[in-house]
Amino acid sequence: MSETHERTVEIVPEAGLHARPAAKFVETANEHDATVRIGEAGADDDNLIDAGSMIAVTSLGVKQGERLRIVAEGEDSEEALDALERVLSTPEGES
Amino acid sequence: MSERVIEGIGATPRTGVGSVVWYRPAETGAEESEEPVPESDRESEQERFEAARERAREELESERERTAERVGEEEAAVFDAHRQFLDDPQIEEEVTESIGEGAPAASAVREAFADPITQFEGMDGRMAERADDLRDVRDRLVRLLVGGERVDLAELPEGSILLAERLTPSDTAQLDPERVAGFATSTGGRTSHAAIFARSLAIPAVLGVGTDLESIDEGERIVVDGDEGIVVADPTDERVASARRDTADEVIDGRVATVDGRGIEVAANVGRAADLEGALTQGADGIGLYRTEFLFLDREEPPAEAEQYERYVEALEAFPDGRVVVRTLDIGGDKRIPYLDLPDEENPFLGERGIRRSLSSDEELFETQLRALLRAGAAEGDLAVMFPLVSTVEELDAALDRVEEVADSLEAEGLEYATPELGVMIETPGAVFMAEELASRVDFLSIGTNDLAQYVMAAARENERVADLHDPLHPPVLRAIRRSVEAAHENDAWIGMCGEMAGDPDLTELLVGLGLDELSMSAVTIPAVKANVEGIETESAGDLASRALTTATRTDVTNLLTDQ
Repeated sequence: MSETHERTVEIVPEAGLHARPAAKFVETANEHDATVRIGEAGADDDNLIDAGSMIAVTSLGVKQGERLRIVAEGEDSEEALDALERVLSTPEGES
Repeated sequence: MSERVIEGIGATPRTGVGSVVWYRPAETGAEESEEPVPESDRESEQERFEAARERAREELESERERTAERVGEEEAAVFDAHRQFLDDPQIEEEVTESIGEGAPAASAVREAFADPITQFEGMDGRMAERADDLRDVRDRLVRLLVGGERVDLAELPEGSILLAERLTPSDTAQLDPERVAGFATSTGGRTSHAAIFARSLAIPAVLGVGTDLESIDEGERIVVDGDEGIVVADPTDERVASARRDTADEVIDGRVATVDGRGIEVAANVGRAADLEGALTQGADGIGLYRTEFLFLDREEPPAEAEQYERYVEALEAFPDGRVVVRTLDIGGDKRIPYLDLPDEENPFLGERGIRRSLSSDEELFETQLRALLRAGAAEGDLAVMFPLVSTVEELDAALDRVEEVADSLEAEGLEYATPELGVMIETPGAVFMAEELASRVDFLSIGTNDLAQYVMAAARENERVADLHDPLHPPVLRAIRRSVEAAHENDAWIGMCGEMAGDPDLTELLVGLGLDELSMSAVTIPAVKANVEGIETESAGDLASRALTTATRTDVTNLLTDQ
């Protein structure tokens, strides 16, 4: 009984999905019992990439203010999406 | 033989002299096999890879802890990225596939990282830094697989100058400022991790030197001048002597006074853990600005009273003979915190920030912070607390009322507490005009020159187009400072200054002349400012200030200062 959920989220961290927010994002994606794939807002299913891969996530080069489509499939898909949305809406500390 | 000067980018206003130790982490010194692995051994080759990865995780974990402790949580977070690259499914898949085809684990690792590294190298800005992260992870795995030697950067001989193509966060976290006289790298810039680290610990450093660095040999004596941004090979004796002088009189422990005996306290601005260590090693008399924002940033919920209490006591313990001035939470404006519901404001710098939030939206946070502070006030040491961005007397009165309420409730609960010295930050024209009334209600004033210049000159700090206006040497800012000093002294309050201006060694005489009792700055400029104070005569400093106060333009002020 695999459920698929998705949502589109705007990136809040100032540096976009770069080192730290990306690491947190990947870690969160891997923590849940769900397969998570991401892409730019509006990307079709074929263009989504594995959210559990740091290389894939950082190479998207997503910047602050851009929107990301997140698709989660699996038992924890809703929880995974909630947690990932939290990561993406948390600003980074000042440096 | 004449000296060779190689130009780079200075990371710290510091000069070091020492013997070169070259660091080439990619050369492990061990032979790497390129022979195909027979089918029967491929399973154990895969196991060797898994074991190396496990060991790499452990290394990353301990380096992360070390960095968090010595430099700060923010710098430590880069290890989280390394950890995720290490466990990347794409890498794992490729390595496993190559090993299955007979590749030795180390070359399988090199191969798996090759494409992503090239891909990131081609991207712009901060994304290119990910290529460095990947190289770091790759070299770590290869070293563990081939049993290569690792130069122990924590155990470098005293007086070493480390040269490297690049220093990763893991490398820099190991450097011991007691042993390393400086470092220089061929890549990197002012905002790289290595530069941040160098500044935090006041290590002389020059980055982005380029390939010319290769012309310097192991064991050579060189000078790294982080102020000028140069590396000097075959330095002349004069150069070495002047570099040594810079190193020798760098730290002045203990209080300093002018030639005629007027004591000036020289304190440090701190936020992150590394700042505290830097403050101690640079001879700070105390802390003139403890930014509590850092306790609140980068977390899911605000720090509890107990945690805050511990941090404040920790700072007091670091300076048993000095004063620790804690600024209550200064948030809003450009600083964001996830769990606080900060409004989007058209003019955040003129919006709900600093004390304004503490008295309204963040009332509870403020109360918790005051409880922690008043309890810390009972601990050993000399605690002071100041309120940011006050612009009316009502705000100060309200804040003082909160302090009293918190004291009453701690009393009722039977908890040990003591009300610390209380003060107001002078950052707004409103506070300057009401400085007398403010000073009469508190023990001290502290001038935040960055914000004061911003508000007096109506020029935003972040806006480069008005950067010229945002300079504390404009006469109106100097007059605002003078007025605040007089108001403080007439009301038996002491007055300090925290902000860029206080830490500019070229302005020490002017500031002493203006009558400031305390100067607080980033640790790195403390030795220079202390040395300057010791050479100042109060009377001539006073004359200089008087003349500066009668000028009409910043150019006049600058000319006055350069005529000295």
